[in-house]
Amino acid sequence: MIFMTNLADTVIILIILTNLMLLGSSRLRTCILIVAIQGIVLGILAILIEGGSLTIHLILLSTAIICLKGIIFPFLLIRTLRDLNVQQEVEPFVGYGTSLVLSPLVLAVCIWLGSQLSLPVGAASSLVVPVAFFTITCGLFLIISRKKALTQVLGYLVLENGIYVFGASIATIQPVLVELGILLDAFMAVFVMGIAIYHINREFEHTDVDRLNQLKG
Amino acid sequence: MNPGILLWIILLLPVVGSGICQILRSSKNVMNFICFGVAVIGILEVVTAGLVFSRNTISSCGEWFYMDTLSAYHLIVMALVFCMSSLYGMRYFDKEIHEGIFTLKLAKRYGTLWFASLAAMTLILVSNNLGMMWVGMETTTLVTAFLICTRATKASIEGMWKYLIVCSVGIAFAFMGTLFIAAATYKFQGSISGNGVLWTQLKIHAGLLDPKLAQIGFLFIFVGYGTKVGLSPMHTWLPDAHSQAPSPVSAVFSGFMLNAALYCIMRYTSLIKLVPGNENLSRDLFLIFGTLSIVVAAAFILSQHDLKRLLAYHSVEHLGIIAIGMGMGPLGIFAALFHTLNHSICKSLGFFCAGRLGQIYGNYDMRGMTGALRLSPLWGGGLLGSLFALIGIAPFALFMSELLIVKAAIATNLIWVLVVFLVGSCIIFAAALKHVISVVYGTPPVLDFKPHRSSITDTSIVVFSLGVLLVLGLWMPNSLHEILCRAANIIEGIDVATTVCVK
Repeated sequence: MIFMTNLADTVIILIILTNLMLLGSSRLRTCILIVAIQGIVLGILAILIEGGSLTIHLILLSTAIICLKGIIFPFLLIRTLRDLNVQQEVEPFVGYGTSLVLSPLVLAVCIWLGSQLSLPVGAASSLVVPVAFFTITCGLFLIISRKKALTQVLGYLVLENGIYVFGASIATIQPVLVELGILLDAFMAVFVMGIAIYHINREFEHTDVDRLNQLKG
Repeated sequence: MNPGILLWIILLLPVVGSGICQILRSSKNVMNFICFGVAVIGILEVVTAGLVFSRNTISSCGEWFYMDTLSAYHLIVMALVFCMSSLYGMRYFDKEIHEGIFTLKLAKRYGTLWFASLAAMTLILVSNNLGMMWVGMETTTLVTAFLICTRATKASIEGMWKYLIVCSVGIAFAFMGTLFIAAATYKFQGSISGNGVLWTQLKIHAGLLDPKLAQIGFLFIFVGYGTKVGLSPMHTWLPDAHSQAPSPVSAVFSGFMLNAALYCIMRYTSLIKLVPGNENLSRDLFLIFGTLSIVVAAAFILSQHDLKRLLAYHSVEHLGIIAIGMGMGPLGIFAALFHTLNHSICKSLGFFCAGRLGQIYGNYDMRGMTGALRLSPLWGGGLLGSLFALIGIAPFALFMSELLIVKAAIATNLIWVLVVFLVGSCIIFAAALKHVISVVYGTPPVLDFKPHRSSITDTSIVVFSLGVLLVLGLWMPNSLHEILCRAANIIEGIDVATTVCVK
């Protein structure tokens, strides 16, 4: 069991690292790859979190997550990226340096928050809940602070990943509920938004969200 | 016959309808079919609601589907709004079908999405499982997003994108809240039968929920579903989406989608009131967000030039009014529920009129729209009537429900809320009156075509809506009073359908 806990810790730290990398990268292709890695790591976490009892149910869930978040969505996004012919996030509202400097502070706040909550976690790792909060915050931050529609979609995926980490920590209480949400959620984010981006691009000849400013007041 | 079957029927029929739309052969047929289908489903929904009122509850599928007076009341509002909007939609797209803009492909997509959104909203009302309820809300968001850009223009895509981004984050928050509530059940999870978070089970054990987790959960729920309700400051998607959607869709948005989200919050409200230490949480949140919505709406209505955006901000205002009612004890909740019905009818009518007037003038800029009453007596008059009702002129029903909220505010000694409400309403009253008078009266511009004559269906929609608002303002049927009381009791957490109620 100690081995499992260590492994879970490693995986959790990987999630923190992917978040940090995401905050610091400007190339959209790199961002998509990082999110793909995060998706795969998440799938592994699904197995570890219950403390090592390997059931068929868990393996299926984990495979589904890895396929969806780690392979299919990143693939679709990269294809969209190619069609759109944009490579880089230009001048985000909050710079990469600033984002990176702020992130440890946010992480600290999240750890404090996690310690305040008396969650009935199966306790694969005490870091699960703080990291869930941290990932959610990162996702929200990406949605708010970046200009490209594609980065917003990525931010949403990260937000979802964060919610999933949180969900996984309470999966012992409500397994069905957790699974229900994740799969539908992911479907929604990328599928719908992918089409929307396509539409935006065709009509506007750009995918900058800050130039969507016709409707106001 | 087992009444539980009815729940399945009203849930599955729209899905069937949505499939049938794909095999129809002309735009006109699709619109006619929508009308017919929604009317049939609407009748079944009213029958279902009637059964619920007589038996108190109906459930099916091991309590996964469950209806009580609260959801049945909303079911009736939904049936009303959908029937009216479908009937209106039949003529609304006439011009565009005639010009060949509204092609068969668009019509098929529109019809399919229309039925699908009906199914999704029904799912919200019939599910007892809080997870399923969330799925319903999420599907609603997905489906209606495409209804906004029925015709893909720059503005409608912009509206749709903002709607998707803001609401998907809201929905994600709501899911987070659902997870927190699920986590809060750990103390009694072993002792209840069945899997999943059933509202009826939670209600029985609400006292055992972990107070802190439930509190955080409710905050997430409130902000998450509150985004869909359009409470300020999460309302930013609302004016864009409402103004860019075709008018029948705007009517459904304002008339029922916002209410459906509020219904979800109501379900949680009745739980959170029973959790130790959180008795006042829902009240405080409703009052804060409600007053803020009224203030923000007043500020934006003052300087508004777009007719549909004006109506959209009215929705923010009225949902704010409903929210403050929700925070004011039994009388306030009673008034809030009554206001829900009135606002739905009135706002649908407002969007109907605005839509047709917009087609006549070519845009929704109120500075260029003058003399509507002379150009089109029906729609101009309808707009005048609906806006008069919206700003709370007696004897329309909205005046009565707002008066009840004022009474509730005095009874619960919430003077600061009352002051904000009255000042906000006065500003909106003056501003909206100025806008509507300039639109309705004056000399109409010279048009190069003659506006269509109003048909019987159009006339009957306007007359029916205004008639209902007028009648409800003057006289409330005993049965409606009883239904509202029972629904309010469910939110208040009083179990029995007793007559603990207000006059």
